[in-house]
Amino acid sequence: MQYFGKTCRKIFSTHIVFPRVLIPIAVLAAGCCFSMPAVADSDVALRETAQRLAERVAAIPGMHGALRLEWHPDAKWSEGENNRWQEILRGEFEKRSVGLTEDAGAPALDVFAAETPTQVVLTAKTRVSERDEVRIVAVALALLPPGSLPVAAVRLERQMIYESPDRILDASSLGNGAEGGLALLLYRNFEILASRVDSRGVMKQSVSLNPASFKPSRDPRAEMTLRGGSVSVLLAGKACEFSWEAPAEVKCRAEKPAAGDKSAWRGATLLTSPCDGSSWKLLNSGSDPNTREVLQVVPDGALRESSAAVLSEFPGPILGTNGEQNPSSALVVAQNLGTGNYEIYKITLACGN
Amino acid sequence: MRFTKLRWLAAISAVIVALACAGAQAGTPRYGGTLHVRLRAASVSLDPREWTPGSLSSAASEKLASLVYDRLVTLDDYAKFRPALATEWSHDATSRSWQFKLRSGVRFSDGSLFTPADAVTSLQATLGKGFEVTGAENGVAIRAAHPAPDLLEQLASGRNFVFRRQSDGTLLGTGPFYLAEPVAAAPSEVNPTAIKPAKLKFQANEGAWSGRPFVDFVEVILGEPPLRQLLDLQVGKADIAEIAPDLVRKGRQEGLRIWSSAPQTLVALRFDDAFAAPASDQLREALWLTLDRETMANVLLQREAQPADSLLPQWLSGYAFLFESPMNLQHARELRAGFPAGAPGAAQPLRLRVDAPGDLFKLMGERVAVNARQANLLVQVALPVGGGNSPAPAVGLHLFAWHYDSLSPYAELGAFVKDLLNVGDLPANTADPEQLFEQERRLLEERRILPLVLLPEYAGVRANVHNWNASPWGDWRLADVWLDSEDAMTPKAPAGPQKNSSAARNPGARP
Repeated sequence: MQYFGKTCRKIFSTHIVFPRVLIPIAVLAAGCCFSMPAVADSDVALRETAQRLAERVAAIPGMHGALRLEWHPDAKWSEGENNRWQEILRGEFEKRSVGLTEDAGAPALDVFAAETPTQVVLTAKTRVSERDEVRIVAVALALLPPGSLPVAAVRLERQMIYESPDRILDASSLGNGAEGGLALLLYRNFEILASRVDSRGVMKQSVSLNPASFKPSRDPRAEMTLRGGSVSVLLAGKACEFSWEAPAEVKCRAEKPAAGDKSAWRGATLLTSPCDGSSWKLLNSGSDPNTREVLQVVPDGALRESSAAVLSEFPGPILGTNGEQNPSSALVVAQNLGTGNYEIYKITLACGN
Repeated sequence: MRFTKLRWLAAISAVIVALACAGAQAGTPRYGGTLHVRLRAASVSLDPREWTPGSLSSAASEKLASLVYDRLVTLDDYAKFRPALATEWSHDATSRSWQFKLRSGVRFSDGSLFTPADAVTSLQATLGKGFEVTGAENGVAIRAAHPAPDLLEQLASGRNFVFRRQSDGTLLGTGPFYLAEPVAAAPSEVNPTAIKPAKLKFQANEGAWSGRPFVDFVEVILGEPPLRQLLDLQVGKADIAEIAPDLVRKGRQEGLRIWSSAPQTLVALRFDDAFAAPASDQLREALWLTLDRETMANVLLQREAQPADSLLPQWLSGYAFLFESPMNLQHARELRAGFPAGAPGAAQPLRLRVDAPGDLFKLMGERVAVNARQANLLVQVALPVGGGNSPAPAVGLHLFAWHYDSLSPYAELGAFVKDLLNVGDLPANTADPEQLFEQERRLLEERRILPLVLLPEYAGVRANVHNWNASPWGDWRLADVWLDSEDAMTPKAPAGPQKNSSAARNPGARP
């Protein structure tokens, strides 16, 4: 489970004296940590890989003078990812006295990056004394930080607040107070878990919803409804109830599919405009697991593709939406096709631009 | 006028309702229905121990085996290994000793309990001699003779399925389907000279530990001609069908939804052992220089293939772009001029046998002969051997198709060395791609194998098939596919455990 408080704690624990003037900055930094992936720790693998390649290149016999670095990243990578690799590679080459220059006449040091199903393979190629020298290193893809998230031009305020490698089936806010946090339904290793995480993303409690007679489903739809400390969970063909205080007492019963339009599943999520109180509906299909999806927020009663729609692109299929206590906000669960992780976004309808 | 307005309103309402229904249908999975699949292979074996490494038939077999059996682990599209029959794993610092904890409560399709002994027996048979698989109370241990840093890649691909052999020789699996009706190929009743293709029917395993698949049945027809497969897709007789590379363009022009994988098949030439000696170096080098791979890929295969310069594809090794195969007719002619009189390829033609099935590969063989002729090299495509007692004429060159079975580049290159060239094993795996590159470079420089083109796998998928999410390396993941309501029966979500009656069906997985 990746959460975003980790880096913050490490940074702050090294500062014994904490001046008051820094408190607003700290608050901002905390918010930043809550909404942005922590990359510092996971950059270690990237840096270590670049270091290994730089060491091997530096050890090529007969190499003299400065080289012109030509960077050939994997075609799938984003600009942010390219820049990050290039920056780290340059740093590691320079640390090992491999001189780099922008001079077009200098011999080229071509560095290629290619993704395989499990690795990133880095290849350096240069010509020394009429001979091609090739050095190759690899790193497991799973060890690398996720690629930078593409920023969509949105008219909704949007913030990523949580991500997990486990499938997130549903998410609900646990209130807007200082404690806050999220209640989640996770599908992990063919088991459905109801979990509470605090506002820093730290897991506080997990309750298994797999009773002895549970049968795994390839349709792991699930929705939760919170009423104080008690939780109702609707699954495909089953409904469960429990309370956070007595998690061992999970009661589940078979639930027949409702006929016609009387589905027990949550209907479209509605937002209320903070400007004029009008209702807006979230529309998504989630039908194609292989494409990024555009969430449409349309005036309630309007059709899909309405010209009044507010659009926001997500990095993969949208798997669910849920309203919040604040009527102009909602949570959106999406899969990131770049990383395979599941992400929760808080979207808020704002006035004007 | 009023009537017209009402009709317009009614029409718009109908469109709105249809759109709403379509939206609902698109997003909500449905259970039921039969998925009709067409594969080109004329026969398959659901016994992974019988598969020939690299063969096209084993590729089709693996597709169907994944319906019936599970693996210890799987690889997702994001480079993460996911638990399957193993829930946890670990290894020592040398990557020689691996421990896997097995999932409890898993049952075979006949209802019997899956045990560590099943994993031991099946994996010992599929992993082979370099591995020792032993059982523990709730897991298995795999000990490799040499470091195996790529063991997870190996277990997540190829023939490393887990199964149980029954006393009658059939195999049981824990997968999402079981084989319900194997129908062998037989002469057609209508036209006895024609062969009715083999048909396999797989039924949903209600007790599958990974969840019941959405469709009730997968019906697979084998060995239909490529054009017939395309037609079956167009008229709705097939939901998913393999498409031959030379028919992809036609399929696209006719509006079919066509999926393609990363390159899965290498088409290449291989010299016989008799031509491996240094005396034949110039012949091998000369032929290599004549090959026009670009034309083969772009004209013969209509841009649906890639010229190949390496044994392993770029998507698997990450370094294939470093290899080049420049065509150089001038140099080839110079080499040819130095051949001794009477040498194969000079006075007598070098005989080329097309080992891969299908007209497309024959055309490629003929193209090789045309290329060679440009450097005065004589290559003759050998005709298929007919019946009778006359011995098959000797050939010096083979055109073969090699299907990549493994997600481990080391294992795949090892299979080339061991199964294709018969020159022993690769040096121990150090997980260093630079060493692998050097080994591949040496193999290519011997010119015993001359890569020609890389072919992706193509499949036509009808619009009624939802959640089609095949992996880039060709795993179709049919258990997650669901069909539109007109093809599916009443939706039924799995609810409560069901007992599987072994007497009520034929659970065997061997057609």
